[in-house]
Amino acid sequence: MSSPVSNIREPLITGHKSYHDITEDLVSPTERTPSAGWIIGFALSVLTLLFGVFCILWTIWHGIGTWDLNRTVNWGWDITNFVWWIGIGHAGTLISAILLLFRQKWRTGVNRAAEAMTIFAVMCAGLFPLIHMGRIWMAMFIFPYPNTRGPLWPNFNSPLLWDVFAISTYFTVSLLFWYTGLVPDFATVRDRAKGFRRKVYNFLSFGWTGSAKHWQRWESLSLVLAGIATPLVLSVHTIVSFDFATSVIPGWHTTIFPPYFVAGAIFSGFAMVLTLMLVVRKILKLEDYITIGHIESMNKVILVTGTIVGVAYLTELFISWYSGYVYEQFAFFNRAMGPYYWSYFGMMFCNVISPQFFWSKKIRRNLWWTFFLSIVINIGMWFERFVIIATTLARDYIPSSWSYYSPTWVEIGIYLGTFGLFFTLFLIFTRVAPVVAIAEVKSILKTAGDQYTGPNAIHGHGHDHSAHTHGEELETVSAVSSVSETTDEGTVVEREIVVPPHTGSEDDLKKIEGIGPKIERALKDRGIRSFQALSGMSVEDLQYILDTSEGNFTGNSPESWAQQANLAAEGRWAELKELQDRLDGGKF
Amino acid sequence: MKSSNIWIGEKDLTKDPSFIEESQLEFRQDNQELAEGIVESNGNRRDFLKILGFGVGAATIAAGCDIPVKRAIPYVVKPDEIVPGVATYYASSIVQGGDFCPVLVKTREGRPIKIEGNKASEITQGGTSARAQAAVLSLYDTNRYKNPLKITDEAIEKHSWDTILKEVSSNMSADSVRIVTNTVMSPSLKAAMNGLAGEENVISYDPVSAAAMLDANESTFGVRAVPNYHFDKAEVIVSFNADFLGTWVSPIEFSRQYIAGRNPEKRKMSRHVQVESHMSMTGSNSDNRILVKPSEQGAAIAHLCNAIIGGISVPNLNDKAKAGLTRVAAELRNAAGKSLVISASNNPAEQVLVNAINNALGNYGSTLSFDGASHQRQGDERGLYQLITDIKAGKVNTVIFNDCNPLYDFSGAAQLAEALASVDNKVGLLYAPSETAELCNYILPVHHNLESWGDVEAKKGTINLLQPTISPLFDTMQAGSIFLALSGAENTDYLAFMKENAQTAFSAQSNFASFDMYWDNALASGGMSSTSESASTSFVADVAAAAANVSKPSNSALEISFFETINIGNGQYATNPWLMETPDPVARTSWGNYLAVPVNFDGVKRFFGMGEMNLKDGDMVNVRVGEKTVKVPVIQQFGQMPGTVSLALGYGRTNSGPCASGVGVNVNDCLVVVDNYTQYYNSDVEILGRAGKEDHFSCVQYHHTLGVTAEDSETGETINADETALAPGYGGIGKGYQGALTDRSIIFTSHVDDLDDNIHDLKHFREHAEHLNSKTLYPYEDYKEDFYTQGHHWGLHVDLNSCIGCSACTVACMSENNVPVVGKKEVSRHHEMTWLRIDRYYYGDVDNPNTVYQPMMCQHCDNAPCENVCPVNATNHSSEGLNQMAYNRCIGTRYCANNCPYKVRRFNWLDYTTADIFPANQVKLNNEDVPFGADNLTRMVLNPDVTVRSRGVIEKCSFCVQRLQEGKLTAKAEGRKLKDSDITTACVTACPTGALTFGDVNDKHSAISKKLKSDLNYNVLEEINVRSSVTYTMKVNNRDNSLDA
Repeated sequence: MSSPVSNIREPLITGHKSYHDITEDLVSPTERTPSAGWIIGFALSVLTLLFGVFCILWTIWHGIGTWDLNRTVNWGWDITNFVWWIGIGHAGTLISAILLLFRQKWRTGVNRAAEAMTIFAVMCAGLFPLIHMGRIWMAMFIFPYPNTRGPLWPNFNSPLLWDVFAISTYFTVSLLFWYTGLVPDFATVRDRAKGFRRKVYNFLSFGWTGSAKHWQRWESLSLVLAGIATPLVLSVHTIVSFDFATSVIPGWHTTIFPPYFVAGAIFSGFAMVLTLMLVVRKILKLEDYITIGHIESMNKVILVTGTIVGVAYLTELFISWYSGYVYEQFAFFNRAMGPYYWSYFGMMFCNVISPQFFWSKKIRRNLWWTFFLSIVINIGMWFERFVIIATTLARDYIPSSWSYYSPTWVEIGIYLGTFGLFFTLFLIFTRVAPVVAIAEVKSILKTAGDQYTGPNAIHGHGHDHSAHTHGEELETVSAVSSVSETTDEGTVVEREIVVPPHTGSEDDLKKIEGIGPKIERALKDRGIRSFQALSGMSVEDLQYILDTSEGNFTGNSPESWAQQANLAAEGRWAELKELQDRLDGGKF
Repeated sequence: MKSSNIWIGEKDLTKDPSFIEESQLEFRQDNQELAEGIVESNGNRRDFLKILGFGVGAATIAAGCDIPVKRAIPYVVKPDEIVPGVATYYASSIVQGGDFCPVLVKTREGRPIKIEGNKASEITQGGTSARAQAAVLSLYDTNRYKNPLKITDEAIEKHSWDTILKEVSSNMSADSVRIVTNTVMSPSLKAAMNGLAGEENVISYDPVSAAAMLDANESTFGVRAVPNYHFDKAEVIVSFNADFLGTWVSPIEFSRQYIAGRNPEKRKMSRHVQVESHMSMTGSNSDNRILVKPSEQGAAIAHLCNAIIGGISVPNLNDKAKAGLTRVAAELRNAAGKSLVISASNNPAEQVLVNAINNALGNYGSTLSFDGASHQRQGDERGLYQLITDIKAGKVNTVIFNDCNPLYDFSGAAQLAEALASVDNKVGLLYAPSETAELCNYILPVHHNLESWGDVEAKKGTINLLQPTISPLFDTMQAGSIFLALSGAENTDYLAFMKENAQTAFSAQSNFASFDMYWDNALASGGMSSTSESASTSFVADVAAAAANVSKPSNSALEISFFETINIGNGQYATNPWLMETPDPVARTSWGNYLAVPVNFDGVKRFFGMGEMNLKDGDMVNVRVGEKTVKVPVIQQFGQMPGTVSLALGYGRTNSGPCASGVGVNVNDCLVVVDNYTQYYNSDVEILGRAGKEDHFSCVQYHHTLGVTAEDSETGETINADETALAPGYGGIGKGYQGALTDRSIIFTSHVDDLDDNIHDLKHFREHAEHLNSKTLYPYEDYKEDFYTQGHHWGLHVDLNSCIGCSACTVACMSENNVPVVGKKEVSRHHEMTWLRIDRYYYGDVDNPNTVYQPMMCQHCDNAPCENVCPVNATNHSSEGLNQMAYNRCIGTRYCANNCPYKVRRFNWLDYTTADIFPANQVKLNNEDVPFGADNLTRMVLNPDVTVRSRGVIEKCSFCVQRLQEGKLTAKAEGRKLKDSDITTACVTACPTGALTFGDVNDKHSAISKKLKSDLNYNVLEEINVRSSVTYTMKVNNRDNSLDA
């Protein structure tokens, strides 16, 4: 199933991973005891969640009057958060459905987490339409079910009812899609598990055996779900936008809303995926699966959708002017110049200006910039919804009723609470399921792994490597470099340094005690890129490299490096640690 | 198991021999003794059973007494006049001091629930005021006195009426009794009081004094009365600070007359010039306002007098006012005999000049006369000052307060309180606790107006009656009966006393043969009128001397004026939550008094409250008035004269129950007293500076203007000041920015002279709107044909030219539809629940704008945006064009409220009605023990035909659907077609000026169909195709622009 891939294409999996490596890397986070960071994060999330639950109960007990909404601004943070969270979810569906249909391989690295994010975000979003109701205990009225009141049906004209259908469908399909993808991975986890854990995962994986028939059905189902989910990507936010677009309120009543909302949703969704994945890849050490290439791809999507959103903003302004309709003109003028001008300019800066930085490849590929901008964009998209909802309502047709709105602690608490819910679920997710889709990543290994493609490829294309597993002989690379040496006599002698055969992956040589970034660069210049290569080097050769490289390394002694590298290459990290404890700056 | 194995305690286990022995002695002697020690009876088993039997029986009986009162008790013998589910109406009158409104009281199952105007009255012709509408709520005031009380330093004792009346009358010594009262219009009550204390010892004063006017009339015409005014006959009306549409003398009567003289359809409009410093409700309705400082009022009157009569000296007056008044004088002269000049001044010299002007113009006998003179103001606060002197001279041993509150609303309250300390008997015939009650040592609680018999002679020759509409709720007594009892009369039946007094009126008429017929007819219609002989009066006055005595303008940089509000007067109505919650029509504030400061436009893009100080709405400021410093919140007031501020009276009550106590500040002690006449302004005033922000700034309208214009300071062109001031950006980019405010199709205004042009423009606009609206995908025309033109289609017509903003409709709506009171904090959060609000916009010149009041309620759109967005069909359209709410179905998404272009939908944010299933949500007013409306007493005011809404649902104007249903059923029961008169909504019946017309639009003969033919009509926001059923008229003014120059 591998298709020819250009060598120029960046590999999507780095680290010269074998299939086993992939399994090992991706399943092991579910098997380890949680790190201190995870526990602290989880505790914080649960606390925030509990505070949110308290605020929700407070609202239900006392009434919506605990919020600062008023007779003019009847929706505020509640619906802003609802639309925002729904928007966040969109990236997951786009990645899993549309990119699947378009056969975008880079999706495999991020789709699992993005889909999980979708589901959790939709759960957060779904809360708001419920708790914003004055009488939540009558919420069942919005469902069309046979009843004894006539029967009395809901109003099928109302966009709020469409929301109910759109969101519940979206949630169901997303959940199914996500779970379907998880089935083979759960089986992988199961195969490595023992006892009760094995039973649980066995149950979760529906008795997956990995037979060809299973795979065939799984593939078909994925395609079908992708087919169903694809229109949902477009429809859900379109319908959410109808909440506003079908109204008569100037500033809401615009035909541009559906495409503009969808673009905005994808925009914010990708920003959220990036925010999360940058953290996850670091903590779970998934840099080989979520590479800079992935991040750059997502940044490109952000740039495109962000620009679409910007065009939409400007179009709105133009149309309001062009319409000649006084209320429309005022509504948009008021957004920019009225009492909520700060949120309008916040929105404009965060959503239109900030993604333009991604025209620069350097920024696109810079983790810190990406992380920072992804958060800026999320804030901007929240502002967008706030601008649309609060600013518009605060000053509509009748000036006598104009008012101002700002949230109470309860509203803020509920919003924080949804973050608590989101991160609680996400953190649990990182512990119970592979954060990267194992089966899908494995399926692209041959076409996108760095040992097969890209500048460091060691496999030619067209070979059949289906039997390739860990422990078999790896194709090796070796390097010979000639180094000029000036002897005491002044004559120049060329000393030949032979780097032993090793796999082509690149390791972080700084993990060897005594090697800093400069030495690492010097070694790598000489072709010593991996622990394996380093372990085969003689002390003399290494000393020679140090002596002849730029910089003053007189204080460094390479005597233990080979031994350390050997342990590192074999993954005996504990022993290495022990050894390093005994060493003094790399010296015995 | 052997019994010895069972052990219960340690002693059992260890087999303590003494314990075992004790345990064997079941019937020991000392047990008996022990029992005797407690019960002290020679109890044996029988006794025990007896006691048990008795105890259980007694407990049962006692518990039986504590069973809560059942609220649904069927009649065994049904009273004739009460049919469950059917309302009964009684003609009566609402009287509070000099305020008077003949009414019909609607009762349901024996309890009054609503006040309607009495159309049979010649004085009000069915009109009401907010105060009259709200009277029914004070009947159920939880705070009112429920028993006669004797208050000593040690205790408050409840007494029976017999003992307390005996005690009071035995303490009284003849000739040293004084009765303090507000204006009494009742001949019988007056007779009863005079009988007790002697006429000279009855001291009458008014909370806001008109003493100077009475004195001036006495001195110039020999009649101590307020003349009978005919505003409808006046072509030019000049009012010096008299709020005759809102609070002055007889506003309900005057409003109707005033509006009758203004008919833009016929291009016939009186010109109304108001001379004042603060924007009063009457001033806001005027065509022109001439701004003078409060201390310049005398000079202004003198100037006008000089311009008309000539030959008198005039103190300094600002030039603009001078020029304006000179022009007004010319206009008055042109309308001689058809003009009217009035003044609220409490300076007798000024009132003499006003009389001189009217006399010179020949207005007596045409626009005002002493035939049928008003009795609505009789007070003279000099009597109270005399009382203080008398008390100090030791001449007084008993002071009886007849339902008045001088220790709050009298300008010399502090001196009076000090003097009263030496009076032995201070008897309060009071309704509820007040500042005056605090000093009384006897409280003789009086009936509420609706529990009382009474007669009122508001105008000479016109007697209206009061009859009880409910038996007294508490152990209270009719004030008249108390006076009779105290004066030692054998028969204290006040009704009999009244009938006796009516004999003279009976004998003067010839329509009825027997007194009973005469009396019954009077009761049924609410009153009787006897022809009063016309008084012949002639004007005698030394005008020049009067001119010398007018108040002298002050040089003070800042002056403050004080005024009573239409809602709570000078505090008399402050205990009524409906009136407290109803926003002031001008300032749009509620729950407190706010310092009105002038608004200055900088000529570029900003408004400044109080010029340099740049005070914003809701800023707290410390204001020093005379020796007192008060901390009040600020409201920027368009039309407030620069260099002046104003503050309402009537707030800051103490000891007056949770609704009134501590709301706002009391400024009655800031009033200046000149020659014992109270002056309602003070020139010794200073704003000391900001003191933070008001916590709960209860203003229901933040934006006040729709197109006020000003001169651009740079170009000198006329610009829309409010548009440029709307946002920081407007000044730069949006100077005159199209549509921000001016092009909104909410208010259309015109000068009466430009009316034809503006009607043409309006017509064009409506055609354009119809053109847009007809471009719809949906077959509206078909709906219209099939549905909206079939059967009934209800509509409301609002004549903006008749609406004066008095808020009677707002209170009537609250009363009819059980609209909850939410309190200050909630109002400040824009959670007010009023179904009918009166929007107030200023337009025209920024310094001296005109005003338009726009009653805004659900517009019952045929193409309603609220209906199609409700996910659960909780709001939908009736076949009669009503936009209906099904509260049961509402889940509270508030989408309808967002999508309502008119913002008339109201959401129950919290549990305002205590109808909630959750108990902890009830909103309290001013830290009241029980939330408003949570007690069974207040709940008696609820209209049983209208659902009380719970928390979390939307509500709104229903066009009083319960009344529509009732009218339809009446017609059906009588087997006839529905008539126009069968159906009215609460707001329509309340309106004193007939600004509202309700009816069936499909009935070609209905009143509304006729109104809908007017060229001035439009629908608010017509172009958005919501097809509203409420029609407004263009607001027309008759401003004389030359007065502004």
